[in-house]
Amino acid sequence: MATNSRVVSKPKPNFETKSWSFMRYSAVLLIPLVFGHLILQDVIVGVHRIDLDYVAMRWASLGWRIYDALLLAFAFAHGVNGIRQVLNDFIHSDRGKKIMHWGLFLFWFIVTAIGAIALIGGVRAIS
Amino acid sequence: MSNIKTTMTGYISYRGREGHYSFLLHRITGLGTALFLTIHILDTSFVYFFPELYQHAIDLYRSTLFGIAEVGLVFCVFFHGVNGLRVAFFDLIAPRLWSKPKQRFSTRITMLITLLMWIPASAIMLYNMLYHNFGWFGG
Repeated sequence: MATNSRVVSKPKPNFETKSWSFMRYSAVLLIPLVFGHLILQDVIVGVHRIDLDYVAMRWASLGWRIYDALLLAFAFAHGVNGIRQVLNDFIHSDRGKKIMHWGLFLFWFIVTAIGAIALIGGVRAIS
Repeated sequence: MSNIKTTMTGYISYRGREGHYSFLLHRITGLGTALFLTIHILDTSFVYFFPELYQHAIDLYRSTLFGIAEVGLVFCVFFHGVNGLRVAFFDLIAPRLWSKPKQRFSTRITMLITLLMWIPASAIMLYNMLYHNFGWFGG
């Protein structure tokens, strides 16, 4: 390597550093969660056997609700942060980034809240 | 607008071979999965908010068009997952592997693992679709 090298101290982690780490650590967690969900629901059970009764049966067990809660929390946050990282390549102005970041935060919060309410409230009978 | 042009031109004209292709494929599959995930959270929440509409959403997913899209979605998730695990492993545990020959080898292994998972999975999903939507195999 070059002879005139110099030592640079590692900068303090900022939001982008933490978001970079979050993507990788959540990825490791999401592999069993998402692959398991996909193989079970899309391949083994199949969409033709899924209906309201199936969801009710599945959510009758607390374990599956916790599983789905983990999916909702980690997969969607990972997805929206990924969208943010992609858009950061296209939006360069501070103002544009600010609007995009807050817009995506609001989007993430509302969709996660809707999912969480449904997950806690459970399947309601058709009136 | 010129920023978008610069980024898009860079995406297309950069010639990074395997590493470049897996970067692009990782982004496209990630965006596709995120789009579906948003729709999926909202349709599943129908079981609480509009239980009488949930069956309509499921009927859409059972259609042939969505059946084909589902096969594509499973590819997106499998590739994004396997490639993401590769990126996480390189970044967190073995950054010395970020070299051109190792990239060439590992991206090919990634695609191989993805296909080995995706082909049997899509065969079963297509079987289910032909069984239920077209009455094949005695359906």
